Amino acid sequence: MSTYKLYYFNGRGRAEIARLIFAAAGEKVEDIRYEGSKWPSYKSKIPLGQMPVLEVDGVKLPQSMAIARFLAKQFDLAGKDNFEQAKVDAVVDTSIDLALKYVPIHFEKDEEKKKNRYEQILLNGASFFVGKQLTWADLEVYDMLDIIIRINGDILQAYPCLQHHRQEVEKQPKIAVYLKSRPATFF
Amino acid sequence: MSTYKLYYFNARGRAEIARLIFAAADQKYEDVRFEREQWPGHKSEMPLGQVPVLEVDGTKLPQSTSIARFLAKQFQLAGKDNFEQAKVDAVVDTINDAVTKFLPIRWEEDETKKKELANKFFADELPAHLQHLEVLGKLYGNGGAFFVGNQLTWADLYLFEMTNNLLQANGNCLDKHAWLKQNRAEVEKQPKIAEYLRNRPQTPF
Repeated sequence: MSTYKLYYFNGRGRAEIARLIFAAAGEKVEDIRYEGSKWPSYKSKIPLGQMPVLEVDGVKLPQSMAIARFLAKQFDLAGKDNFEQAKVDAVVDTSIDLALKYVPIHFEKDEEKKKNRYEQILLNGASFFVGKQLTWADLEVYDMLDIIIRINGDILQAYPCLQHHRQEVEKQPKIAVYLKSRPATFF
Repeated sequence: MSTYKLYYFNARGRAEIARLIFAAADQKYEDVRFEREQWPGHKSEMPLGQVPVLEVDGTKLPQSTSIARFLAKQFQLAGKDNFEQAKVDAVVDTINDAVTKFLPIRWEEDETKKKELANKFFADELPAHLQHLEVLGKLYGNGGAFFVGNQLTWADLYLFEMTNNLLQANGNCLDKHAWLKQNRAEVEKQPKIAEYLRNRPQTPF
């Protein structure tokens, strides 16, 4: 049984996907959140001076996606064999393509193109992206679209597949509990 | 035994890491390269209208990093357990942080602007990323020359390819990074890699 510590700011941001994975798996983590003022004094203790960082039995691992993928694999939320895991990774990469374009917070035509890609990957109104069950790809897309919906609540009106997908994720019992009880933060 | 087809332009670009992995593992694949004029005719065959795409026993997989990770895992070049694979992934992500900042400069058409952006990148942006990579190499490398676990992984191959591109633009950019230079030297001397580098098509990018 490994012990896990997650270090981040007091926000969802780049750590939320890891927290969603812990929640979906029903696994424990020490969820360490630094307020902005405390961060400079801890920065030098972290390998790359950046967060999130996951500490596993005392060894530190940076990079939010590497952390998420590791946890998903630990807890069987990554896809059942190498090729399924590759499909899951491809969905996550596509989601990141959108997130990177999104960083200046306004909507451009490209948003539409990227959302169309999700619809393409989600074949025939399936509930989950890969393998007919929840993987971290579903959690990552959920989390990433969450950011956009908080700015523009109508953005998914033209995408019934994605709306259905969000509902499927939200009704997972452990996710439902987590979403009700997680801290409400600005980011 | 799976059959593999890799689709990309006639270039190194985002497909080269996959090709390096095939080479290091001495595995066969069909290396399909589209010339510029051919690409529009094939675009709709690809899941996201983009390349590279890896076709495995007839099923297509997009996204260059996912393709590379899948192949590395297939051929034992990914790290020997979940945590080692995570360390390898963290190194790759750190390299990509630098690549993401470099790409727009590469594609800048205005020569004066390009020079200015490049100078700024090499002076102000890149050093921190290279520093981070050395931190990880020393943290995970067990005192050896490879990034993780004292053996070649796709993280080493990825650094090699990305630093090739950086060195093309600025031949001095690794001068202050002995650990990274040593890592590159180890990759270059792997026999299958050395042979692949001698024979691969020479393309501008």
